Amino acid sequence: MNRSLGQFYPVVSPLHALDPRAKILATAALVFGLFLVDSAAGLALVTGTVVALVVASRVPPVTFLQLLRPVAFIVALTVLFQVLFSREGEMLFAWGILEIHDGGVRLGLFLGLRILLLVSAAALLTATTAPLALADGLEDLLSPLKKLRFPAHEVAMMMTIALRFIPTLSEETQKITKAQAARGADFAEGGPLARVRATVPILIPLTVGAFRRADDLAEAMESRGYQGGEGRTRYRELRFRPRDAIALTVTALILAGAALL
Amino acid sequence: MSGSVLRILADPGSISCESLTYTYPGAAEPALSGVALEVMAGEYVGVVGPNGGGKSTLLRLLNGLLSADSGKIRVAGRDPDTEPFEVRRRVGMLFQNPENGLVAPFVEDDVAFGLENLGVLREEMRARVREAIRAVGLAGYEQREPHTLSGGEKQRVALAGLLALEPEILLLDEPTSMLDAAGRREVLDRTRRLRGEKTILHVTHHLGELLDADRVLVMNGGRIVADVAPGRLISDADLLAENRLVLPPLARLAAGLGLGSSKLRTPEDLARAIGEKIRRRAGTR
Amino acid sequence: MRLELRDIRHVYSPGTPFELEALRGVSLAAEPGEVLGIVGGTGSGKSTLIQHMNLLLEPASGNVLVDGVDAATLKKSELRRKVGLVFQFPEAALFAPTVAEDVAFAPRRLSLDEDEIEDRVRDSLSLVRAEHLRERSPFALSGGEQRRVAIAGVLAMGPEVLVLDEPASGLDPAAREDLLRLIRTLKQTGASVVLVSHDTDEVAEVADRICVLERGEVRAIGTPSKVLYENLEFAPATVQTVAALGESDQSIGRPVRFEETLRTLRSLVEG
Repeated sequence: MNRSLGQFYPVVSPLHALDPRAKILATAALVFGLFLVDSAAGLALVTGTVVALVVASRVPPVTFLQLLRPVAFIVALTVLFQVLFSREGEMLFAWGILEIHDGGVRLGLFLGLRILLLVSAAALLTATTAPLALADGLEDLLSPLKKLRFPAHEVAMMMTIALRFIPTLSEETQKITKAQAARGADFAEGGPLARVRATVPILIPLTVGAFRRADDLAEAMESRGYQGGEGRTRYRELRFRPRDAIALTVTALILAGAALL
Repeated sequence: MSGSVLRILADPGSISCESLTYTYPGAAEPALSGVALEVMAGEYVGVVGPNGGGKSTLLRLLNGLLSADSGKIRVAGRDPDTEPFEVRRRVGMLFQNPENGLVAPFVEDDVAFGLENLGVLREEMRARVREAIRAVGLAGYEQREPHTLSGGEKQRVALAGLLALEPEILLLDEPTSMLDAAGRREVLDRTRRLRGEKTILHVTHHLGELLDADRVLVMNGGRIVADVAPGRLISDADLLAENRLVLPPLARLAAGLGLGSSKLRTPEDLARAIGEKIRRRAGTR
Repeated sequence: MRLELRDIRHVYSPGTPFELEALRGVSLAAEPGEVLGIVGGTGSGKSTLIQHMNLLLEPASGNVLVDGVDAATLKKSELRRKVGLVFQFPEAALFAPTVAEDVAFAPRRLSLDEDEIEDRVRDSLSLVRAEHLRERSPFALSGGEQRRVAIAGVLAMGPEVLVLDEPASGLDPAAREDLLRLIRTLKQTGASVVLVSHDTDEVAEVADRICVLERGEVRAIGTPSKVLYENLEFAPATVQTVAALGESDQSIGRPVRFEETLRTLRSLVEG
């Protein structure tokens, strides 16, 4: 698998170059801010901003739209629900008991667009930030919570290990599947219950194998002096640059503007 | 190999233990019984023997992954039971499974892992990581992802991770058993270069890997049953048979022709020796 | 049963930047009752090749023939019963609560009645000398034991061709010897064995014919003495020794198996 893990799209762009912490904060602000926006103008501002960001990210629009595909159904459902069942505003169209009101149309589009924008914000984050950078950024941002006993380091360590082993486990799953297929297992036959049962010969060895790996890895980590997060330094550097501050400020301003509009 | 007098060797490169005993929880028999050994700084000592004989257990007791039931251990001048992390600063252990020793998603991050644990500052880390990667012949691999590497490459990354910590002692637990011939060569090539620089304890099933060792310990049933030079080991048929040790085919061939010697490494060596033997025979007729 | 691969080509990720031609027209056949050894290093295409033998992978071009019949026309389940494939580190696929149940997995899929399934389980466990393990959990066994149980699981299908991918990988020398002994035993049952390995020592010990695979092509195929002596970099150290000697003494011949080599050299040395 040569393509980088997950949704990260490796190109050079102003967004890719930003510090992951700035991007995480900006995304969080965007998500939060979207719920404060209640006008069409405000939403249009945010939409325009997101579109501009997608362009700036140099991620091909087609690729980006694919990242939004999982929510297409929910968005459609939300819009449809409001359009068909809301009785707000003037009636535009009636057919039997079905009534379509302009308030419903407006609300449906608003809610649908908001969902799209929320998912776009998340997609922008993961498409422009390498997984390891994301993990580092999160660890850094969460570390003040250590004072409140939040296991920020452990969470980050778990993310790093997950990133490391996901491709390995993926290959392992393929190998096990092929081995069972070679023994006559058929994963495509039968109804839903049969298909679920057919995954047992894959899930069990995979899980047992994963536990073995975890034991081996723990031994290796301990042997290399791992004692938890105390006193650890970090190899990778996260440096906050002026452009990160600018990005954050601009984001805050736009969201403030949109909320006030 | 006296077990009765324990010399507390404060030498950072030495290993010594006496009356070491350990039983795995729930096991009927002890995995190690009354093991005693002394390894001097800079020695290259091989450890062989049948599976279940205690080899891996011994290594894990030496770096504190396991805690002995009884007996004394001194590794790099410390007791791994009371000061495991001090010991681990000075002892690097290479494991059998190349996949499960790598913790980070990129090669250079993994090599840096041990240094991060020690709280080494970033500038120094960068230099040491670079040097360690170079030392195992993987310059250019810094941003590679572990799952894209061959077995031999993975083990070399793991080795780099150990070397970055500049340990005095290396414990190798069957590091080549899951590799193919090419991978085995790659890894052995790098560990051989460390001879003399570091104290090395090398557990393996491949006797051919130990021909250069200073000596070889044979472990069976939780005890050390022999402590001999490699040359002696490969020519002692009884010792081999009793401990279910198998010589590499070339060595077996040489032994079968009465030419057993740890100096015969390659087919050309053996062919030459055979040629000489034939000529000598012809000469004496 | 004759398993033939005719001009097999396989391309990974065709039409993408990652396109890789792993097999470039490989032709070979495993004759009934023989052990065919396939040797090659990493990148030779070995793993890709064996997955074609039971059509887990389909070739871009070329055919797989089972007794002259195109394997693509057979039901997958039927093909996979006839051509049993044991992957490298097969113990990673053990999953049942007991050894007996795991070995029964494949026969169950063959719609046999309980008695027949039990026979298959017993016979295959007996072949690999693991009958005493039948009630144990597969996860509580040693590496070597797990290996044998995994192989039994494929043998229980009653395959006519058994394909083994690096079967001795990671085993200690004693377990390796057991495995070679098993391969010789299997031959006696009339099955063909395709042994894929990077380790020429073990292939030389049991193979009737050897195929050398290099970069997706068959570099050589024939009797062990012919193939190994004509491709010395793929030959075991013992063969290389004889070859080094043979330059000066043509009468030595071309022994391949260890005992044979030892005998030949002994008589040479002792006159």
